Amino acid sequence: MDRKKRRQFHLSEKQLGYAMVLPSLILIVAVVLWPVAQSFYNSLFDYRLNDPTRSQRMLSSTMDLERYVDNYFYIDRQLENLADETSNPEVEQTIADIRAGVEEFHSQLISDEEIKEKVEQIDDLLMSFTPVRDSELKYTKVDNDFAEEYSKALQSYSEELTKIAEANQDEAVSQPLQQTADLLSSTSGNILESNFVGLAHYADYLKDARMWRSLWNTTLFTVVSVSLELVFGLGIALLINRSFRGRGLIRATVLVPWAIPTAVAAMMWRFLYDGQSGVIAHYFEQLNIIPDASWLLSTSAGGMVSIILADVWKTTPYMALLLLAGLQTIPTSLYEAANVDGANKWQQFWRITLPLLKPAILVALLFRTLDAFRVFDLIYVLTGGGPANATESISVYAYKTLFAQQNFGEGSTLSVIVFICVAIISFIYVKLIGSDLFEGRTK
Amino acid sequence: MENRTGKGFYLFLAVFVFVVMFPFFWVFLTSIKPVGEIFSSFKWFTTNPTLDSYGAALTNRPLLIYMLNSFVVAGLTTILALVFASLTAYAIARLPIKGKGFILGLVLASSMFPQIAIISPIFNLVTDLGLRNSYLGLVFPYISISLPLAIWILATFFKRIPFELEEAAKLDGATPFQTFRKIIFPLAAPGVFTTGILVFIAAWNEYLFALTINSDDRWRTVPVGISMYQSQYSIPWGDITAATVIVTIPIVIIVLIFQRRIVSGLTSGSVKD
Repeated sequence: MDRKKRRQFHLSEKQLGYAMVLPSLILIVAVVLWPVAQSFYNSLFDYRLNDPTRSQRMLSSTMDLERYVDNYFYIDRQLENLADETSNPEVEQTIADIRAGVEEFHSQLISDEEIKEKVEQIDDLLMSFTPVRDSELKYTKVDNDFAEEYSKALQSYSEELTKIAEANQDEAVSQPLQQTADLLSSTSGNILESNFVGLAHYADYLKDARMWRSLWNTTLFTVVSVSLELVFGLGIALLINRSFRGRGLIRATVLVPWAIPTAVAAMMWRFLYDGQSGVIAHYFEQLNIIPDASWLLSTSAGGMVSIILADVWKTTPYMALLLLAGLQTIPTSLYEAANVDGANKWQQFWRITLPLLKPAILVALLFRTLDAFRVFDLIYVLTGGGPANATESISVYAYKTLFAQQNFGEGSTLSVIVFICVAIISFIYVKLIGSDLFEGRTK
Repeated sequence: MENRTGKGFYLFLAVFVFVVMFPFFWVFLTSIKPVGEIFSSFKWFTTNPTLDSYGAALTNRPLLIYMLNSFVVAGLTTILALVFASLTAYAIARLPIKGKGFILGLVLASSMFPQIAIISPIFNLVTDLGLRNSYLGLVFPYISISLPLAIWILATFFKRIPFELEEAAKLDGATPFQTFRKIIFPLAAPGVFTTGILVFIAAWNEYLFALTINSDDRWRTVPVGISMYQSQYSIPWGDITAATVIVTIPIVIIVLIFQRRIVSGLTSGSVKD
């Protein structure tokens, strides 16, 4: 122990370096890379949390053993009772056949040692009325052909019994028959077919108008708001790039919209835009900028204008701040030299400021574009994606599919689509920016 | 560029400050109006200022609990992120390890990941671990936001410290870890603090994870709580504006006190110097 401790103290710089990096890498893998891989895997299944037959990802056929074992117990008993009560030899024969059939399939099922063990375990739990929580125990993989045959057989047994029940006028006889028929049919539902669908969700979404609409909304929102932010941000940065009194006040003004939660900002803007009591909507109407006060939040165009305006308000200051920092790294001697050479302000802007500011602009654009493309809270709180999905971004669509519909298969497909778009955008920017991005951080 | 600061310039600044601050200003004015006035007129200044909306905002919803939740979650997230990130950033900035470009690339890439792409597996995992509606249930996914951010900013700060100090420590016989702990880390403390503020604000503002994972009212954070003030049929603007003012005040205070640090932290990620 002591020796070990001393050895650790003598880690070489290199070993220490790797030891320091490792925990963060593990965390990043656990909370970022692994979940993305899972999302992709989920998108290959018809996977719905709110549908018991599809609430698992099943590569092969699966049986819900908890329900099956429970049902099987009653099937056996009910069939026995039915056989005892009937006097019709034909019906008796049918019931005997069904019993033999179910028996046959069941013994085939538990011929697998592992399944047999699980069945016994579950039996014990059910006897003591304990729900089966462990999904390893609750579900078991079964052979695809066997699952299909068993499921079909149960279905056809159920139909046979229903037929007999319907032919019977006496309710006292027909009712138990129908009950058993229903039980058989629901047992058939405990045998789950694989819900692996491959890339089918992707193919469906490529034809889904709502997906294209939300992708278009996201792109429009991103391009328009980021461009406006760049133009205004650059203008503001150029204007305040000098020494003047009250810099602190300006800095605070710039930081407050950036620092408050987007959801809170969205709520504020929703109030300002409100058709009845919103002051911005009211003044815009008075100034004839918009046709009437309710236009902003109740029409598609108005909704888009609203979210873009709110986003520009919230992030232009941040953009200005980044660009101002870039401007301050440009040496004043360059402008002095240009003055000597007789270049006017306009030429100085295009020949000196812009080229030297380009790296800062690209980095700011990279961060802003990616942020805008994954926009969620602003839209979700401000318009909820409405009216009639007119402002729905792809993240909002994915969220609604995932958590409102509990459809994790299709929702994951949408979230993977967002991921792919973001990857493409960052790839383009990183190509444009090149290795500048890492400069100043590594040796 | 030019150093003329004329009247026109200050007029521009005044307009700029007014435009940026107007929403806050209006929300504040609304929060002290009697509720009837909010829906009936667009008068700027009420003649009967009242704190009724504040009382309603605090009693209709557990606003103070939301703030406590946000504070605990953001605080824990910040501490965790700073511990892991300062180790990693130090190694990247100053130790001779291989694959720095790869590690930084990974860090940058994970800060760009859309949260929506990781939310469903994280949701399943947090549910399976029984951590829904708890502080840890949010702190864990917040690592995905805070850790890359912290590493990215801290790497710049560590880089700025002169290398001669390490050489001197080495000559005095300090081990590499001692050099980090006793010499570099204290020198980088202001940078670590700045990073802490930025991480705290990022965690305080997060919405998507908080919305899905802590769905119980008792465990909601401020952004989610504020967005849930509305009921199905009516929107109580009086309550909402008062709540907005209450939750914005701590942020304004933080910004006023730490504005220089925040600016240096924000811009360190984007400009070389």
